Amino acid sequence: MADWQQLLQSILLGLIFSYLLAKLISIVTSFKEDNLTLTRSHAQDDQVRPKSESGPDSRDDPFRPAGVSADLGGAQDVDSVIAEHGSVGNESEAGSDDYSDDDDDWEGVEITELDEVFSAATAFVATAAADRLAQKVSSDVQLQLYGLYKIATEGPCSAPQPLAVKMTARAKWQAWQKLGAMPPEEAMQKYIDIVTELYPSWLAGLNVKSRGGDSDAPSSGSRGPMGPVFSTFAHEEESANDFKMDAIHNFAREGEVDNLLKCIESGVPVNLKDSEGRTPLHWAVDRGHLNMSELLVSRNADVNAKDNEGQTPLHYAAMCEREAIAEYLVKQDADLNVKDNDGNTPCDLCESNWPWMQRPTE
Amino acid sequence: MGDSNSPPGSPKENPDHDSDPNQLAKDDTALETIVRKFQDTMSVGKRHKFWETQPVGQFKDKEDTSLPEGPIEPPTPLSEVKQEPYNLPSPYEWTTCDMDSEETCNEVYVLLKNNYVEDDENMFRFNYSKEFLRWALRPPGFYRSWHIGVRAKASKKLVAFITGVPARIRVRDEIVKMAEINFLCVHKKLRSKRLAPVMIKEVTRRVHLENIWQAAYTAGVVLPTPITTCQYWHRSLNPKKLIDVGFSRLGARMTMSRTVKLYKLPDSPATPGFRKMERRDVPAVTRLLKNYLSQFVVAPDFDEDDVEHWLLPTEDVVDSFLVESPETHEITDFCSFYTLPSSILGNQTYSTLKAAYSYYNVATKTPLLQLMNDSLIVAKQKNFDVFNALDVMENETFLKELKFGPGDGQLHYYLYNYRVRQELKPSELGLVLL
Repeated sequence: MADWQQLLQSILLGLIFSYLLAKLISIVTSFKEDNLTLTRSHAQDDQVRPKSESGPDSRDDPFRPAGVSADLGGAQDVDSVIAEHGSVGNESEAGSDDYSDDDDDWEGVEITELDEVFSAATAFVATAAADRLAQKVSSDVQLQLYGLYKIATEGPCSAPQPLAVKMTARAKWQAWQKLGAMPPEEAMQKYIDIVTELYPSWLAGLNVKSRGGDSDAPSSGSRGPMGPVFSTFAHEEESANDFKMDAIHNFAREGEVDNLLKCIESGVPVNLKDSEGRTPLHWAVDRGHLNMSELLVSRNADVNAKDNEGQTPLHYAAMCEREAIAEYLVKQDADLNVKDNDGNTPCDLCESNWPWMQRPTE
Repeated sequence: MGDSNSPPGSPKENPDHDSDPNQLAKDDTALETIVRKFQDTMSVGKRHKFWETQPVGQFKDKEDTSLPEGPIEPPTPLSEVKQEPYNLPSPYEWTTCDMDSEETCNEVYVLLKNNYVEDDENMFRFNYSKEFLRWALRPPGFYRSWHIGVRAKASKKLVAFITGVPARIRVRDEIVKMAEINFLCVHKKLRSKRLAPVMIKEVTRRVHLENIWQAAYTAGVVLPTPITTCQYWHRSLNPKKLIDVGFSRLGARMTMSRTVKLYKLPDSPATPGFRKMERRDVPAVTRLLKNYLSQFVVAPDFDEDDVEHWLLPTEDVVDSFLVESPETHEITDFCSFYTLPSSILGNQTYSTLKAAYSYYNVATKTPLLQLMNDSLIVAKQKNFDVFNALDVMENETFLKELKFGPGDGQLHYYLYNYRVRQELKPSELGLVLL
């Protein structure tokens, strides 16, 4: 009876002891793991929200393997890039309108181009790794990337060396540790270089706008993560109907004086009409080219030529509020009283009160 | 958290694969796919790490019509709402922006003027006026604590801003108290510091503290998941200026002269009894509007106080006109637009683009087309350069005929913590957010 009790007691003690031992080992290992798993995503989370915070994010397993959390970091970068892609496109001109900004305010907080390319590179590696492309890369290179990544995101290695039996963890630790006090910028640059060497095309096709950054590749300029949108007219293709105009009209429209002169010299009539009855002078006036208008008039362009709607260049000048040109045309004896097909004189179409447009007859 | 989630640059847990030579050839062809995939994630943004953690309609649930309409998460007891603000990166601190203070209002104005929304080509930037901001942020029952700023600790400079205002929004038969979230703006130099997610969480927390659990907001980007996607349309009022500043383009075969002629408007409104709304019209306009908005799936539930605030004309902020029958003196029709100027970036001649945005319009006797044409005429009289409208409500019925042209901007509407069974047509939406 006593034997039986003793046996039970020793079994119980043995169980308790082995449980405690197992627990101790697990604590030790998880402690080591934890020190190695402080990765970018955590580092960033820490800036924004403490791990203690309750909420959806704290569901993340704090002891997830380093790889997974780093991957999330990458994914979050992608997301933040999308969420805040107003950033890069605008930076080029940020300098011009921040008159009131004292640059010292931003020391150390401003994200650099290198940061952006680096986070794009890490996001790319995460994508590649997820697709097992990483298998192509030797583990040496992978370790090298790992070390550079840690230096870039966390600085020199200060974690204790993992136990020798934990081979992978130890190899990672060594890769990080051997880079010593390499500056983060250098680490980022090396990381980018390695990725570029491995996958030369990784940035290809990404819209490297203004800063060579990754970020606003996709969507455009400045749509914030929330809020209204600044829309402008969508550019619509003009229908190719039976509309016809000649080179001389194009040159007049675009203000290309030299080309237009060549046209005239090669014998193109200065009052040539396009399919709408417009002369080069109509086009020059329409687009507001005073010098072109003067040139055309000096080459005997008809100041009172009518288009198919009965409008003269002076109608155009009045309609488009081309003040200097209107004045010039009037001085060149453009007719103030000529009516278009709707019965309007240039004065009727003129909303401004230009003294030279007052009709002398009425 | 399987093997597929591999780290950037860290070795696989199982390094045996690394030396498999057969893998190499396949990998080379795979590279292209992966580069494409990577670029897709960068561009389309299939993953929304932040929004996937939020109670919003998720893309994956889009086809699932069995999910019930209504709140996604039930309200939590107020005592369980986090009492302290979320943590900001250490150089920054939260501030509540008192829009009554001229100084604070000016700071907000300057932040937005220099850093808020721009067009795709960075030629224009919204320039909401101070009066507009005060109007937009102080409707009946507004909470000062929802006007949230972020300052740099050292310089006290305002570097970010987000706001909510309370609104009663009806979704089908349910009237839901919501926050309308708007004016999220992070200083250009702090973009990519990931301030936006924490600001959204902070405004959400402060909304929760008022026992409000739903919100409405818009975005130019696709997030999980729009209740509808609207299109902007523009009606030139001053075509020459719009072309000169690059808001619209003149086709190579089109003349300025003909364009100007095309957009000419009569000097004065055509409808007899068309006049500016006055305070005494508030009850009649409220009745008109309530009745009209009831036909839309999602629309604000306006009472007289709301109408007085949102629709009674305020100089350079909101304009409202109505038709009073000359015989019966009944108020039969109503139209309104708000004033939102923009800075023109880098143009020597012009510095400001003056845009009117169609707000709420109700036509019961006058044809809507004629009412809106009168609206264009008064906008032209008031020297607006362009009249903008979304294709919400019945707007589609007049846009083309009144010579609106499609814009390059889409606006997506969202509800926070409220599921709508299926995506709405823009014409089913009766809500305009500023």
